[in-house]
Amino acid sequence: MSNYLDALSVLLLTSAFMLMGNKRIKSYIKTFRLQSILIALLTGIMGINSLYNDGNVDILVVCMVVIGIKVVYIPFLLNKTYENVEYKVEKDFFLNIPILIIGCCFIVVFTYFSLSTTTGINTGTINMQVVNSISLILIGLFFMISRKKAIGQIVGFLVIENGIFVTALFATQGMPFIVDIGILMDILVAVIIMGIMVFRIDEKFGSTDINKIKDLRG
Amino acid sequence: MLLIIQNIGEQNSLFLAAILLYLIAAVASLSLMKHHKLCNIVSNVICMIAGSFGVVASVVKIFTGYTQTNIPMLQSSIPLITLDIKIDSLSAFFILCLSVLVVCVSLYSIGYNSHYYGKRNLGLFNFLYSTFILSMFFVMISGNAVFFYIAWEAMSLISYFLVIFESEHEENQRAGKLYLIMTHIGTAFLLIGFMIMFSYTKSFDIFGSSAAIPEVAKNFMFIFFFIGFGTKAGVVPLHIWLPYAHPAAPSNVSALMSGIMIKTAIYGMIRFMLCYLQIQQTWWGVVILCFGIVSAVLGVAYALMEHNIKKLLAFHSVENIGIILIGLGVSFIAFSQNNEFLGGLALIAALLHTFNHTLFKGGLFLGAGSIQYATHTKDIDKLGGLIKKMPITALMVLCFSLAISAIVPFNGFVSEWLTYQSLFLNIGYGGGALNILSILSIAALGLSGALAAACFIKLFGISFLGLPRSDHALNAKEVPVTMNIGMGILAGFCLAIGLFPAIFINIVDKVVFSLVGSSITGNFQGGFLNAFSPLVVSGNSISPVDILIVFVVVIFAALLIIRLIGGKYIERKYGTWDCGFESLNSRMQYTATGFSKPLRIVFSILYRPGRKVEIEEGVSSYFPTSIKYKVWTEPIFEKYFYNPVLNMIRKISLKIIGSVQTGSVHAYLIYIFIAVLALMLYNRLA
Amino acid sequence: MIEATYLIVQIIVIILLAPLVNGIIKKVKAFTQKRKGGSLFQMYFDLFKLFKKTAVVSDVSSWIFKVTPYIVFATAIAAALIVPVTTLIKPMWFPGDIIMLVYIFALGRFFMMLAALDTGSTFGGMGASREAMISSLIEPSILVSLITVGLIAKSTTVSVIMNFMQEVHNPLIHPVYIMAFCALFIIIIAETSRTPVDDPGTHLELTMVHEAMVLEYSGRSLALMELGAAIKQLVFITLLVNIFIPHDQMIHLTGFSAVAISLLVYLIKVILAAICIAIAEVSTVKLRLFSIPNLAALAFILSFIGFLQYFVFGG
Repeated sequence: MSNYLDALSVLLLTSAFMLMGNKRIKSYIKTFRLQSILIALLTGIMGINSLYNDGNVDILVVCMVVIGIKVVYIPFLLNKTYENVEYKVEKDFFLNIPILIIGCCFIVVFTYFSLSTTTGINTGTINMQVVNSISLILIGLFFMISRKKAIGQIVGFLVIENGIFVTALFATQGMPFIVDIGILMDILVAVIIMGIMVFRIDEKFGSTDINKIKDLRG
Repeated sequence: MLLIIQNIGEQNSLFLAAILLYLIAAVASLSLMKHHKLCNIVSNVICMIAGSFGVVASVVKIFTGYTQTNIPMLQSSIPLITLDIKIDSLSAFFILCLSVLVVCVSLYSIGYNSHYYGKRNLGLFNFLYSTFILSMFFVMISGNAVFFYIAWEAMSLISYFLVIFESEHEENQRAGKLYLIMTHIGTAFLLIGFMIMFSYTKSFDIFGSSAAIPEVAKNFMFIFFFIGFGTKAGVVPLHIWLPYAHPAAPSNVSALMSGIMIKTAIYGMIRFMLCYLQIQQTWWGVVILCFGIVSAVLGVAYALMEHNIKKLLAFHSVENIGIILIGLGVSFIAFSQNNEFLGGLALIAALLHTFNHTLFKGGLFLGAGSIQYATHTKDIDKLGGLIKKMPITALMVLCFSLAISAIVPFNGFVSEWLTYQSLFLNIGYGGGALNILSILSIAALGLSGALAAACFIKLFGISFLGLPRSDHALNAKEVPVTMNIGMGILAGFCLAIGLFPAIFINIVDKVVFSLVGSSITGNFQGGFLNAFSPLVVSGNSISPVDILIVFVVVIFAALLIIRLIGGKYIERKYGTWDCGFESLNSRMQYTATGFSKPLRIVFSILYRPGRKVEIEEGVSSYFPTSIKYKVWTEPIFEKYFYNPVLNMIRKISLKIIGSVQTGSVHAYLIYIFIAVLALMLYNRLA
Repeated sequence: MIEATYLIVQIIVIILLAPLVNGIIKKVKAFTQKRKGGSLFQMYFDLFKLFKKTAVVSDVSSWIFKVTPYIVFATAIAAALIVPVTTLIKPMWFPGDIIMLVYIFALGRFFMMLAALDTGSTFGGMGASREAMISSLIEPSILVSLITVGLIAKSTTVSVIMNFMQEVHNPLIHPVYIMAFCALFIIIIAETSRTPVDDPGTHLELTMVHEAMVLEYSGRSLALMELGAAIKQLVFITLLVNIFIPHDQMIHLTGFSAVAISLLVYLIKVILAAICIAIAEVSTVKLRLFSIPNLAALAFILSFIGFLQYFVFGG
């Protein structure tokens, strides 16, 4: 089983890179959906394994919830928001795309270095798959920094949450059930609110460029 | 001074003969100053004979492997100023490189110097030429730091005079000035290194033991030696003199400078850092590896943008020095981790690449000289179609271009393959940082190899192929025979080393064995007779001969089968496809600027190209009479590194001069008084 | 020593199979466009036809132009000898490894670019300069991804790597191999001049790279260039399928029948790979020339992450 988990963790990392290299908003949402499918697969495999070994259905339920919320509902919300705003491609970047990708490479190398000397990292249930998932968190944060439009920021936030979820999965084979469901609900509500806000801001001020939102101070 | 020349043992008699012959050539060329042709032929022939003695002597020395004690050549009564000679396998190897190149370049010069007849002082030129070779010879055989330093200085000065030989061009003078300043900055660092050496071991003997020097001092010595030798070798960022000095010198001198003078720095690095200081720390190797990677990539990147043939070749020297440093860096890292096999392998790769570079870079500069001789221009954009006018030169330059791009079956491929193998074996030893550095250097080597191939396709394709782009190229004629034979010998060596690598690696292996005591011939099938056997390194093997045989067989089979299928070969000559335009002229071909444009755009962060378009309008703005388009790359190192330093120095100097040089006699007398008092005080306290 | 059986089988299989791969790709592309397309064996007929035709040679060009098709063909065959189609013919030793493979192709490419410049036409120079850019950006990725796989197998010789991979269970689950596989797939597309890097069927100068370099060739020279390019494509596909989807460990027979079954399975793998390449080709558009560095960077990143994963997961 751990082979499949390794492979999925590296595919998650690749999807993060794909996200970083994109300019079109629709692709952000599609890549996020792909990432969520991979996470669903991950929880599914872990859930079946735990069902087989311990008879617990916790993780399987979490898997269902993930599929319901992250694979189906949140992309649906984002798509609705996407149709109502007027920009479809992000054209303006602080640094261009190849430099961002090289930055993501540095993040992966850096994560590997900072975790490689942690004691007990390769024993027991924790192992180096955590490197990939922590890189996912950092890449999500980097994505939020590099994008100027609001939908990019929302997707970045969602990727950070994905990364935290996967790290918890790898590190402790699942968080307590209530905590998992609670977090997922929170995310759902946050996205709904953010989506509504984005729509309102766009309606009111004509643009959702974050730089311009700075002018609202004072 | 009391001069005693001691008896030199029998093993060195050929070396002594070579030295004497160079001296004779120098004297002869001065005395025959009035008879140009005779002077030229005599001095070059004597140099050739001396060179062949050198080749024989060094090969014999390497195979017999006898190292003798220091033989003082000149002793004087000034303490510590003794000039010792000591020739061991490493020196013999570099003398082999030197001598091979000298034989070919001297043969070439017989033809090349003929365009100086009556216009310049050939006697002076040949005198400087012979003494230049002699000074490099002394650098490599010196056994004493004092002798080394004297020979090094002599080499720099004489090459300065050679660089500004055609001094009526303004840019040659500036190039010479820059060269002199840069090389003396490097020599100053060397001097500091030698002084640290003396202050701890109380002797200048290079072959002595460095055990008395503490760790910290050794680290400092490493840094100083690296800067000193790096300036001469052309390591980025100390390379800025290379692209100016090498084009300014006459082509045979450029061949010598780029072919062997740069390598004396590599000799110095190996001799001082590996043999004398005995690699202690891993970070030494890492520093060398990093600078090697940067030089390799930046050297070839800047070479792509040049359209002056010699400047392009000079930047390529920077790139190849980078590759040699990558090999050296890996070997130093391996030695510091007590990995004898990998250290020996990487050192073999570096030394073999040194030899190969001497051959093909020397050959390329000679080829550039031939082009300049025939067409009187160095600008690629004005050439074209030369392959029909100078077929033999074109074939030689093609061989050298293939060799430098590391294409099978020439020699560049063998040394790059060995470098790749040593990098490959390096991954897995050492910590994570070293692994990532190794894989990045593999990627950098691949990138620089591909870019070098692109650059030489540009050089060869646009100079030799297509239609002539100017009258210079239209009226070119084949060059004199001696020039072609000189280049031919070098090309023959390139092909030979490429096809039969085992023999030459045997030679290099013996050198490495004498240095570090580990040999990798155990993995080869050694011996002369196994010249056809493949080169095997830890299970991976290559055999260029087999590939060549496959090529020949396949081509013959293809010709046969196609003849069977398709009948006789009928060919119809027609013009190039011109889309029906019907007046295809040479202006419609790609120029060198155009060829390198995609790469200029891809790497525009590095180059920051600037462009200027001047349009002279005719009847209306849609029908201009002339358009001038100028594009240039920003010289990053000069602008951001050297200019600020120079400006700061200038400001500080002006301020100090303003305050110290008051012009009043009393002030100067007070300075003298204070200086004398300070010295007496120092005497009391120290 | 080099074994004759291995050489002969290798050369015959590769020469016979190479034009078929092109035919399959064209047929799949035609199906997706709801056309019937040409015959699967069209390229064989084309080659035969070309061998019989008269060659038209430009009077500007020199001997380099005439020599290049033979060199391209010979380098393709020499490279094919390094990559075994089946590991069951023993001994299968031909001296050469990954690095030699890359540089043999570099020889072919060198001469192809020179021949393009030789004719003195603008198309040639344009094709050569674009090809220079693309190939120099792709080359680090090839080396890094193949050397990563070689690291695990502790060797750079292709046959040793193939033998090693047969011992690995399900290589495509392991993260290192996934990354190397993806990187190699992108490299195949770039090296064989397929969409999205270069359109193999176009003659518009806006989009030509490889076609521009062979524009002046006709008759048997053109046939040799096309065959050489097809063989190069097959060599890369063989590298991909035989390293990452090894099949020889499942054959437990010996002798002639084993080799026959192995070759049959190899044929099926190549057909599947060709179909995948064709599907990848029809689902993307040709990239703008200066977006190709982004694709090359992606290939490099994938191979570099594969390398890192080797240290994360210990190979």
